[in-house]
Amino acid sequence: MRALTLIALLLGAGPAQAEPERIVALGGAVTEIVVALGAQDRLVGRDTTSTYPPSVTDLPDVGYVRALSPEGVLALGPDLILAEATAGPPEAIEVLRAAGVNYVALPETNSPDGVLEKFSVVGAALGRTAEAEALSADFRQDMDALHIKAQSVSKQRRVLFVLSIQGGRVMVGGEGSSAGAIIALAGGINAVSDLKGYKQITDEALLEAAPDVILMMDREGDLALTEADIRTHPALGATPAAQAGAILRMDGMKLLGFGPRTPEAAADLLDALYPATGGQG
Amino acid sequence: MAMASLDLMARPERMRGGLRPALIALLMLASILSVTTGAAGVSLAHVTADWITGKEIGLRERVVLFDIRLPRLAMAVMVGAALAVAGAVMQGLFRNPLADPGIVGVGAGAGLGAVASIVLGGMLPGALAATLGPHLVPVAAFLGAWAATLLLYRVASRAGRTSVATLLLAGIAMAAMAGALTGVLTYLADDQQLRDLTFWGMGSLAGASWSKLAVATGLIVPALILAPQLARGLNALALGEAAAAHMGTDVERLKRHCVLAVAALAGASVALAGGIGFVGIVVPHLLRLIAGPDHRRLLVDSALLGAALLVLADLIARLIVSPAEMPIGIVTAILGAPVFLWILLQRRSFGSL
Amino acid sequence: MLRISDLHLSLGRTKLLHGLDLDAHPGEITAILGPNGSGKSTLLRACAGELPYTGSIRLQGHEIAQTAPWRLAALRGVLEQSPSVAFPFTLRELVQLGLHAGIEAEQDEIVIAALAEVGLAGMADRPIHALSGGQQARAHLARVRAQIWRAQSHSGPRWLLLDEPMASLDIGHQMALVAILRRFAAEGGGVVTVMHDLNLSAQIADRMVLMAKGKVVASGPPRAVMRDEILSAVYGCPLRVGVSPATLPWLVPAFV
Repeated sequence: MRALTLIALLLGAGPAQAEPERIVALGGAVTEIVVALGAQDRLVGRDTTSTYPPSVTDLPDVGYVRALSPEGVLALGPDLILAEATAGPPEAIEVLRAAGVNYVALPETNSPDGVLEKFSVVGAALGRTAEAEALSADFRQDMDALHIKAQSVSKQRRVLFVLSIQGGRVMVGGEGSSAGAIIALAGGINAVSDLKGYKQITDEALLEAAPDVILMMDREGDLALTEADIRTHPALGATPAAQAGAILRMDGMKLLGFGPRTPEAAADLLDALYPATGGQG
Repeated sequence: MAMASLDLMARPERMRGGLRPALIALLMLASILSVTTGAAGVSLAHVTADWITGKEIGLRERVVLFDIRLPRLAMAVMVGAALAVAGAVMQGLFRNPLADPGIVGVGAGAGLGAVASIVLGGMLPGALAATLGPHLVPVAAFLGAWAATLLLYRVASRAGRTSVATLLLAGIAMAAMAGALTGVLTYLADDQQLRDLTFWGMGSLAGASWSKLAVATGLIVPALILAPQLARGLNALALGEAAAAHMGTDVERLKRHCVLAVAALAGASVALAGGIGFVGIVVPHLLRLIAGPDHRRLLVDSALLGAALLVLADLIARLIVSPAEMPIGIVTAILGAPVFLWILLQRRSFGSL
Repeated sequence: MLRISDLHLSLGRTKLLHGLDLDAHPGEITAILGPNGSGKSTLLRACAGELPYTGSIRLQGHEIAQTAPWRLAALRGVLEQSPSVAFPFTLRELVQLGLHAGIEAEQDEIVIAALAEVGLAGMADRPIHALSGGQQARAHLARVRAQIWRAQSHSGPRWLLLDEPMASLDIGHQMALVAILRRFAAEGGGVVTVMHDLNLSAQIADRMVLMAKGKVVASGPPRAVMRDEILSAVYGCPLRVGVSPATLPWLVPAFV
């Protein structure tokens, strides 16, 4: 990891590079990191998923991070593009690189170490390594505190993350998904750890998973899931979680983004999962 | 009174004469607009002036013009022409102004090919994968379209004769089958592949690049050149297969060539730009209204109008939510769906068209 | 000439023609008649090259099954029974389709002449869908005529094969069609036409071919074919042949 960081440092902040003045951030967590490093005033553009802090929504939106228009991004006249690994389409990224703009892709990660790596990559690209170090230190401290709290949990609860329900088919977060990772950080057990990534699951497997808690994203619009959706679903409604009314909703970007707010998100989740261990610590 | 209404239906000859030059002018105008307009505000006049005076053109200007707008324009022209001509040929082949490559499962076949290449591409022998490289998806989509069309043809033709009704029904079955297989592949895909599927499925002209265009050129240009050779046969076929044969058309050969042309045009378009609807139906229909159904004019005019329309639709897609962009399929649907409904109304009031 | 020998034809498992022999000569109008289902349209479609067959059909020495469509198109025109047009072609465009299929391809004045011949002069720019059924039938006749405008080419007589061409015409236009066919035959062309009306056929045909159950039962000049016993047997009802005002055979039911 350290070696990677070092390479990223060398690549990102090459020797004769001036400090970037016009930054386009692609990806919610990327934008959060830029803001956390105190460079919000240099942001000139963001993607649709960048909505935190709320003040960034005033910036021009270049579209969905996976369907970027290269000319739209170039129109903002950026000298640095910071993007999450999933940005695309690949042809658009190729053109952006060809245009001579410094394009820095962040590692894709679902782990605290990965978040630290994102901090140092962004810090290096912004020429703010000291701020990145400070942010990393805070992050480590918060994660350590979280870790201690998580270990004090005596009886781990089984958590099922429900991404969507479409036509009765339930999409859940399995092993290796960002949802699975945050559940583990919060001292929970992923109820569907035998699935890989985000997958549709059968009703029988849902009953077999027997989650104590169902976790969902807090979204607006057509995609929003309500507790009624869960209760009225034949299999989800029969789970211990639905029976006990243990249905949690959290801000999706905060919960799954793996950025500066991850310790907070994990702590919030932990408090919600284990109300007894919560409080002032 | 009856005579007066009949006279209204006669098409004045002068409308035809001016149509071709008007279409060429429209396409040129649309192209110039497309190259000179965009979120980045790079001006063509400026760059041309710099170029003539020998001043060095900035990297960003060069990229915007030559790596973004020009390949995009070329792709819009290519895909627009391909979609419109594929529609016109298909409609001639099926003797139905509402036929479209999407209907007979060609689009679904292309989609299956693309998805299969993304999900199963890793299993290809290394050498082959390396040779195909970025062309893998478009080539696979074309092969999918072709396989679908050939299989369709096998199923629907008996003793060298094809029944259009069977072909349509077989097309529906093919589309369902391709859809199901695509679903299976989607389920097998891992996260990275799902992401690639998303990129492909959102298909727009935003992914235009010279290398993609190279693949497109190999499929679309030969088919566009072949298409006008089919015009006389398609004219005769409008009277039915028997009458076409009586008038000297080698009907089976004609149908084979039509199927090939449609597979190449529609398959390549789907591979390059995803699903872009309505161009294939609306363009030939409008042209038939203006200049009549003679395929010798229709096929060439369709290529011109299809190209011009898609260039304009792309311009709208790029500008309307700038600096982001709207998927072009949405733009063509918004423009095309009302026209399509209007066609249906016309058909209802005139009986069968 | 058109020479058919030992012609067998089946569609799927149904045998439609079995062992049919027939000669038709240029300069004559040959009318093919028979009860419903006797195979007369099938025979015409086989001669037109539409259906696969065994045996032999030779038109001017060309075996139909082995002759390229474009070569046949220059040799004979076929008027289908009620053809439909998928797109709104104008009459001019429709007749041009025929013209370009034949050998007179460069002579656009034939389009106007062919339309005038069938009484549709001045309607060249009307879409065919705006016409009445009878007018459409005549437009298709003009299209076939434009394809085979001259009754002879350098290589010999040319042919018109017609499937019930009188069907949707009133008596005036029927007579106009008869005149066209007679003139074509007189110029040395061959006419083979499937007919429904025995009496009309007897007045206009040089030669009648009576079919039943996929075979030729009688053929020859009207006087040889229009006979009480032959017709009564073929049509399965008592029929009596008299004489028309033109002193040609004239058929009436036996109870009259």
